[in-house]
Amino acid sequence: MRRGLLFYPKMAAANIQKNGRMYLPYILTCVVTAAMYLMISALAENPGLSQVLGSDTVSYTLGLASGVTALFAAVFLFYTNSFLLKRRKKEFALYNILGMEKRHLCRVLFCETVDVAFITLAAGLLAGFLLNRLLFLLILKILGVQGPLSAVVPGRAVFNTCVLFLVIFLFIFLNSVRQISFKSPAELMREERAGEREPKTRRLLALLGLLLLGAGYYMAVTIKNPVAAVAMFFAAVLLVILGTYCLFTAGSIALLKLLRRKKGYYYQSNHFVSVSGMLYRMKQNAVGLANICVLSTMVLVMLSSCFCLYGGIKDIIALRHPRQIMISAGEPADGEEAIIHERADALLSENGLTASEPLSYHYLSFAAVKRENSLELGSTESIMDMNRLAQVYVLTLEDYNRVTGEDASLKDGEILLWEKGGIPSSVTLSGREYAVKDEAEDILEEIGISFGGAENLLAVVKDEAVLNEWDSLQAAAYGENASARSYVYGFDTDAGPEKEQSLREALYHSLAANPTDGGAGLSLTVECRADGELSSKSLFGGLFFIGIFLGLLFVMATVLIIYYKQISEGYEDKERYEILKKVGMSGREVRRSIHSQILTVFFLPLLGAVLHTAFAFPFVTRVLTAFGMTNVRLFAACTAGTIGVFALFYLLVYRLTARAYYRIVR
Amino acid sequence: MAMLEVRHLKKIYTARFGGSRVEALRNVCFSVEKGEYTAIMGESGSGKTTLLNILAALDKPTAGEVILEGRDVTKIPERELAQFRRSRLGFVFQEFNLLDTFSLRDNIFLPLVLAGTPYREMERRLSGLAERLGIDELLNKYPYEVSGGQKQRAAVARAVITEPELLLADEPTGALDSRSSDSLLELFGVLNDCGQTILMVTHSVKAASQARRVLFIKDGEVFHQLYRGKDRPEQFFGKISDTLTMIASGGGRYA
Repeated sequence: MRRGLLFYPKMAAANIQKNGRMYLPYILTCVVTAAMYLMISALAENPGLSQVLGSDTVSYTLGLASGVTALFAAVFLFYTNSFLLKRRKKEFALYNILGMEKRHLCRVLFCETVDVAFITLAAGLLAGFLLNRLLFLLILKILGVQGPLSAVVPGRAVFNTCVLFLVIFLFIFLNSVRQISFKSPAELMREERAGEREPKTRRLLALLGLLLLGAGYYMAVTIKNPVAAVAMFFAAVLLVILGTYCLFTAGSIALLKLLRRKKGYYYQSNHFVSVSGMLYRMKQNAVGLANICVLSTMVLVMLSSCFCLYGGIKDIIALRHPRQIMISAGEPADGEEAIIHERADALLSENGLTASEPLSYHYLSFAAVKRENSLELGSTESIMDMNRLAQVYVLTLEDYNRVTGEDASLKDGEILLWEKGGIPSSVTLSGREYAVKDEAEDILEEIGISFGGAENLLAVVKDEAVLNEWDSLQAAAYGENASARSYVYGFDTDAGPEKEQSLREALYHSLAANPTDGGAGLSLTVECRADGELSSKSLFGGLFFIGIFLGLLFVMATVLIIYYKQISEGYEDKERYEILKKVGMSGREVRRSIHSQILTVFFLPLLGAVLHTAFAFPFVTRVLTAFGMTNVRLFAACTAGTIGVFALFYLLVYRLTARAYYRIVR
Repeated sequence: MAMLEVRHLKKIYTARFGGSRVEALRNVCFSVEKGEYTAIMGESGSGKTTLLNILAALDKPTAGEVILEGRDVTKIPERELAQFRRSRLGFVFQEFNLLDTFSLRDNIFLPLVLAGTPYREMERRLSGLAERLGIDELLNKYPYEVSGGQKQRAAVARAVITEPELLLADEPTGALDSRSSDSLLELFGVLNDCGQTILMVTHSVKAASQARRVLFIKDGEVFHQLYRGKDRPEQFFGKISDTLTMIASGGGRYA
């Protein structure tokens, strides 16, 4: 039989229209997911990004975030589509019975997929453009700064989005074809109800989920070293995400079956309907719940750490700049220190300023693997070694006494030592044993040579001769990668920020410029706090912006999933509640049972997210120290605050969507 | 005094914007004695379902009253309705209306759970009943795992486990094959012999012929009624058929 060229496209369009009630939430989901991906991708490709942090870390992380979003989009769209397909199997069976061959059905399916893909990309890209603009405007308004980022959508982001979604739709189409073409009409007819069978308890999967989650949590809690923490961060995140999916799919069913076995609990009017209802649809529900849980966790961790970084800028600056002006010279030559002091004093008096709170010292720093009471030099290979990696800072007794104002003394072969969690009685370095005479004061942060980043060790040695000896040891062990000794001179003045900046420039010129230009030709850095404040604000402002941007995006995704769940389940439950009403359930009882059911289903992911966040807390704390943020109390406050606000918001979304659900089933 | 009295029941459906009015029930009067087994017959559109919905307090009449055990069902306030329905009335529907989320046992327990009955009491009531209905082997199965006849038996169990005063059945054999229909009707007979009052709306002459009395509804009124008396169902069947033919051919009215 010949049919018109437009037969299948027309039929496809009509099908979508006819099934509008089911298709609308699905198309909405596709559109919003596409818009989301476009926005993240646009941010990752944003040309202003390299200015933020000035390194690849941020764009690398964002690239990863867009990868995660792509994965999420694929999983979510597959999930929503399979749901849709299941409900339409009877329709396809009917077409089949009425004389359409499987290949005709596939043609219709193809046209439908093309329609949805077209709508998704057209509306998704448009919505993405507009939302991107809006979000940028909104966040910049909140932050009150003009950051290096602007609301551009690079062509590459558009291209990525198109490719990703076309591929996803292609796979969705192939999956639909697979589901339809290998089944007889009778099987298809039956299948619409097949999903309504009671799910089996999958003990193995639940166990696997527990193991994965446990491993992720274990890593989060036990990895103490920030370097290792950063390296293992994504592994732990992956473990937790996988564990969450397994647990939600298998664990929730096991839990509900357990509840059902408890007769005293199960046979109560408000538990009876809700427990059975949840059990019945847990199979399709679980993925959605796990998605909500993972997204909520991301929102919580990201927002809390961003707020913490932004709120802790002052602390971070104080740590990085213990004095207004900090001069540090690597490998100072003989007499260089004197030149620095002379020129600095001269410039100060020229400007009518005086140096106060002077701070000066030499130090040597190198990495070592710490065991019991020995420090091993050399490269690290295993993760276990990485977890033991320590940064050793060495000061002479003279400098130490000057900085602390103490009057300690050391004999040959004796050192003072500070490390977190107490000191050993002796330390061996390359076969030489040093007796630890006493615990040193923890002055690393105070003098501005370290602000976290690794497990730190402070060693105070007797004199310069020992310092030189240690220096040559590490130089021999690390070769080209060996670190240099440094000289640091810092002081405060009573200059304002602008004068401070001009003083810094003058100082740098005077010390580092070529002798022909009137400089001393030294190789050193001069930093001032005013500059630090500016760059920190722009750096953390940028990070804060990205955090909020992603946070809002993920919140949007969460709301979308919640909404989709409520609407789709509402239509499913309508029939059930009609029966319940006929059997003698009052409107109030219906509402109560809905409440009890939705409440459990909804707050399970939130609970999971809070638990994840709690376990991520020590982990993120360590990552934050890499940014110079060591104020744990502030981070705890930020986390608690974020969780509180998010829970409130979640409650609001819950109430709104529960109302939509109730309107449908009523 | 009659257990159920329906007096001058009238139901008019009005289109939403005051357009056309359809009179589903014009003036329905009848009464049912305790322990009676009554069938209501009528063509599609004669108002059978409207009548049953009003009796079940699922719908309100435009005028008239429904007195069940001395209480006017149409005047029960909304918040007491559900409780009233599940304690005084039992329902058997054409489409079974079992919930796929529950095993048969839990489906049967549903009204008791809603009423807050203790588990032990529910078990006690079910044990005898399930055996009488021949579903004691199936209690742990789910509705999608059993046949239509078995589903309907479970639905009957759900309807009578609350020991209702009145069992309302809406085309109970409508979705069943003839063997399942026969055994369900037999079951209704047994329940009735035990004293259960039954009111059944049906199309099927065979189903109606099992009842003690048949009311015929036409154009929103009780048009005619037949008592079975000492007739055997087969004989009653013939009378019902004749009456239906007469109604369909628009014959005169005698009641």
